[in-house]
Formats: sequence, structure tokens, C-alpha cells
Amino acid sequence: MQELAVRPELDFTSEAYKNAYSRINAIVIEGEEEAYNNYLAMGEMLPDYKEELIKLAKMENRHMKGFQSCGRNLDVTPDMEFAREYFAQLHGNFKTAYEQGNIVTCFLIQSLIIEAFAIAAYNIYIPVADPFARKITEGVVKDEYKHLNFGEVWLNAHFEEAKAELEVANKANLPIVWKMLNQVEKDAAVLGMEKEALVEDFMISYGEALANIGFTTRDIMKMSAYGLTAA
Amino acid sequence: MFGLIGHLTNLEHAQGKAHELGYTEYGNQGLDFWCSAPPQIIDHVKITSLTGQVIEGKYIESCFLPEMLAQRRIKSAIRKVLNAMATAQKEGLNITALGGFSSVIFENFNLSQNKQVRNVELDFTRFTTGNTHTAYIICRQLEICGPELGIDLAQATVAVCGATGDIGSAVCRWLDRHTNVQDLLLIARNRDRLNELQSELGRGKIMDLEEALPLADIVVWVASMPRGVDISGIPLKKPCLLIDGGYPKNLDRMVAQEGVHFLKGGLVEHEIEMDFRFMSWADMSVAGQPLFACFAEAMLLEFEQWHTNFSWGRNHITLEKMEQIGAASLKHGFRPLLLH
Repeated sequence: MQELAVRPELDFTSEAYKNAYSRINAIVIEGEEEAYNNYLAMGEMLPDYKEELIKLAKMENRHMKGFQSCGRNLDVTPDMEFAREYFAQLHGNFKTAYEQGNIVTCFLIQSLIIEAFAIAAYNIYIPVADPFARKITEGVVKDEYKHLNFGEVWLNAHFEEAKAELEVANKANLPIVWKMLNQVEKDAAVLGMEKEALVEDFMISYGEALANIGFTTRDIMKMSAYGLTAA
Repeated sequence: MFGLIGHLTNLEHAQGKAHELGYTEYGNQGLDFWCSAPPQIIDHVKITSLTGQVIEGKYIESCFLPEMLAQRRIKSAIRKVLNAMATAQKEGLNITALGGFSSVIFENFNLSQNKQVRNVELDFTRFTTGNTHTAYIICRQLEICGPELGIDLAQATVAVCGATGDIGSAVCRWLDRHTNVQDLLLIARNRDRLNELQSELGRGKIMDLEEALPLADIVVWVASMPRGVDISGIPLKKPCLLIDGGYPKNLDRMVAQEGVHFLKGGLVEHEIEMDFRFMSWADMSVAGQPLFACFAEAMLLEFEQWHTNFSWGRNHITLEKMEQIGAASLKHGFRPLLLH
């Protein structure tokens, strides 16, 4: 057992890397844009927190610009059409929840799922990123941990009335996340990111958020693994 | 508050346990799923010492399975250990034992270089391998059970398999200084380390497994291997005391011979009140169930408020520390598991 778990050497300038990066980078940019719009929409739904949510939205917008510069740095044009299609289902579910005034579902999709997904991806990306992107991503991760907290604090304060809706929304949306992860498994691997590690990191962030909101270990183990194997 | 980081014996055990406790999401899954599964805080335990002192702790299931090592899924194994440690630290646990393979993985893959786990910077002073207590308990098992079987230590040959490991080298030091055993046979894979150990002790014969075991009155097995080693073909002395302090403990099935007495090494018995609140994931809540001495070490460090990485790294276990943890062990109500 003397072998070390060595990381592969990555050639950031190779065509294969740039090709995969055009989709992953686009997803990240689109994800931050979704987040920007989602927080603005949630600000409309929660006037008391509007200012705070606008602040969060602006932060997401800054992240988006940061990731756009990562693409430019590698001379990669992000495939935004692919990314919009990639987020279409989650985007549609958020829109429906917004239109129906289901703020709890909006929180679950944006503050828990999208944020945990982003944090997992960034955590796994940082050790294998090019030096420019690593710096940007490290800064973003620090901010992202703050977002998770905002959603958790709100949901924790409304836990009793939100619990049932959270469970329903979890069932409706978590399987989409697994599908999304499967869809980029090959591209992520080219960037040195393993699906297994992404799933694990997502479950850790998502599970921690559920714990902070008030769910028990038993609930968390059931909820955070929901639909994983069917994917 | 203390912590215990544990894992289950194998995939089948894990699936069974998950089903038993109603986690069908986990119970139906294969190894791939466990490679992606995050650590979970499974139990909250309250423990009352013989002195009446009460402490509390948490049990963290790392979701590591030995199959990950056997199938060379090293990165998964490493993530399990680091993530469980980050969970313990986030939970604010003062001192946490790395049970089973966790400390082996930490040591073999040099994880002290991986301090940053997401937004947690690991503080290694909050963790212990528990090896000092394990080594102490194994030595006491040998000192008590050998003579019970009519083995006179003054004339006995003791073979230590895994002699250069953290526990093995501590056992050798203790046997050299605290007992009058006649011969020490040192068995390990790394020849350089064996030479170092031999010159430190100023005694001991370096031997191969096949050569050493037939000569031994007592065998101390402290090697940890995911697949184990088959020793069923090697003839043993009669009587022979075989203390299995390795992991997993599977020697008993190989050497079921008359005159060969098998003892699970590094386990403690206790009459301590252990109130596991949530469930019995770790099989420790059963009354009279022996407990891993490494877990007991975390409890002792919490009882004594020695919030430090008491056992850490390789070959740092001194006789003084073994005596110190041994005294605490007795004081709070642990005793070595003996032959029944």
C-alpha cells in the first residue's frame, strides 16, 4: 500500500482539454447566471429580504464574470447553448415554483441544490484547475459557502411549515442533479474531476445544509441519496 | 465531547446493516455507491466511567469499506478518511479516534499533507490513532493469557508479525523491557525497518513468517491487510497463543487446531455504562460487547481531558505513554479481553 494517489498531468492547452472545457465552463457560467436571476426572483417573493437577496444576486453576477475570464484565459469559447439546455429542467422547475409562489421549493432548488452542486464542482475542480482559474474559483467558493447559509437560516426558521414541501421538492429535483452529473461525466474526467468525488462532495454539502435546516441523520441519508441509483 | 470514526467490515456487512436499520437507499447499493457516500454522524453516546464521571461522544461512519483497498480504489479510501475527519472537526469534537483501517490509510498514504478539506483546515491534534492503548492492551493480554495456558514467559518465544508497525514496535519495546520473554522473532515486509527495530531493541531475530511461526509459543499478529494472509498451512506449536490484533480479525478461521488458542487482540471488556441513543450501527451498544481499544483511547483522553493526539505517526509510542494510558484504562473501567 505504498503507492500514492497521484493526480494526472493535465495539458490545459490541448484540444481535448479545451473542447471539454467549452462545455464545463459554459455550465458554470450558466449556473451563476441562473443563480443571479433566481435570487432576484426570490427577492420579489420575499420583500423583507429583498436587499439581501439582491446583494447575493450581484455576487453571483461577479462570479459569472470571473468564470467568463477563465474561459478567455484558456482561449475557449463557452458552449452556452449546451449549458442552457443542460439547466433547462431545473430552470423550468424553479420558474413553475416561482409562478405558484412556492418559495420553499425555490429555496431548495437555488439555495440548496444549485449551491451544493456548484460548491462540489468547485471543490473538486480547484486542485486540478489551471493557476488562473484556481485563484478565481477559490475566491468564489468562499462566497458560495455564505449563500448556503442564507437559505439554511431562512428554511431553519420556517422548518416546521417547510418540511413537507422540502421533501416533495427534493424528490422532484434531486434526480435531475444525478442526471446532470452523468451528462458531464466524460467532460469532467478530461478536466481531472471524477464523478464519484463530485457526487460525494455534493452529498456532503447538501447533507450539511439539510442538517442545519433541521433534518435528522435518518432524513438526510434518505433524502440526499434519493434517486441516485436510478440515474 | 469525543469522537469515533469507524467503518463496516465489508460490503455485505454494510448492506445488511443498512437494511437492518431501515436505510434501503444504502442497503441495495454496490461498492460504487459507497465510494460516493458521504460520512454520517450515526450515533450519540453517553458514557459513565467507574469513577462516576460522565462524558459524551459521537460515532461517525466514514462509509469506507475494505474492498476499496482490495480493489485499489485508493482515492475513494483517502476521501472517506479525510471527509470523516473534517466532519468530526466541524462537529467540534475534542478528540477523535481513527478506528479500523482509518489510521492505516492515514499513515500509509501520508495524509498529513492533506490538511485542507473543503472549508476545514484539519487540526491533527484533535485526532488519535488509539494505537498506544491498543498496544498496551495486547501486551496485557499476552502477559495474562500466556501463563494461563501454561506458557512460561521466561522460556517463551514470541513472534510479532507486523513488528515494524506502530503497534508492533510498541509491543516489542514493552516485551523487551517489561517482561522476561526469552526470544523475540521480528516479522515484517520492510527489511530496513526491521534492522532499525532490531538495533533499537538490541535483540530480536529477523525471520520470515513460515520460519518463525512454528517456533513461537505466542504469536502477536498486528499486520493490517485488506485481504489478509493465509497461514493455515504453517504448523504451530501446541500450546500456542495466537493474539490477533490485526485488521480484519480473521485468523481464527485459519488456525482452528487443537492446542492453538485464539484471542482477539486489542479489544477491551468493560462494565461501563454506554448509552447509545440513536441506533446500534457500531454493534457497541450490546451489553458485554468488547470494544476496540483504539476507540476506548479516545474515551480515556476525554475522561482525562488530555485533548491531544496522544497516538500519532509511526513509532512514537513510548513505554511511559503505554503506562500512562494503561493506568487511565484501569481507572475508568476497561480491562483486556481474555480467553474464555
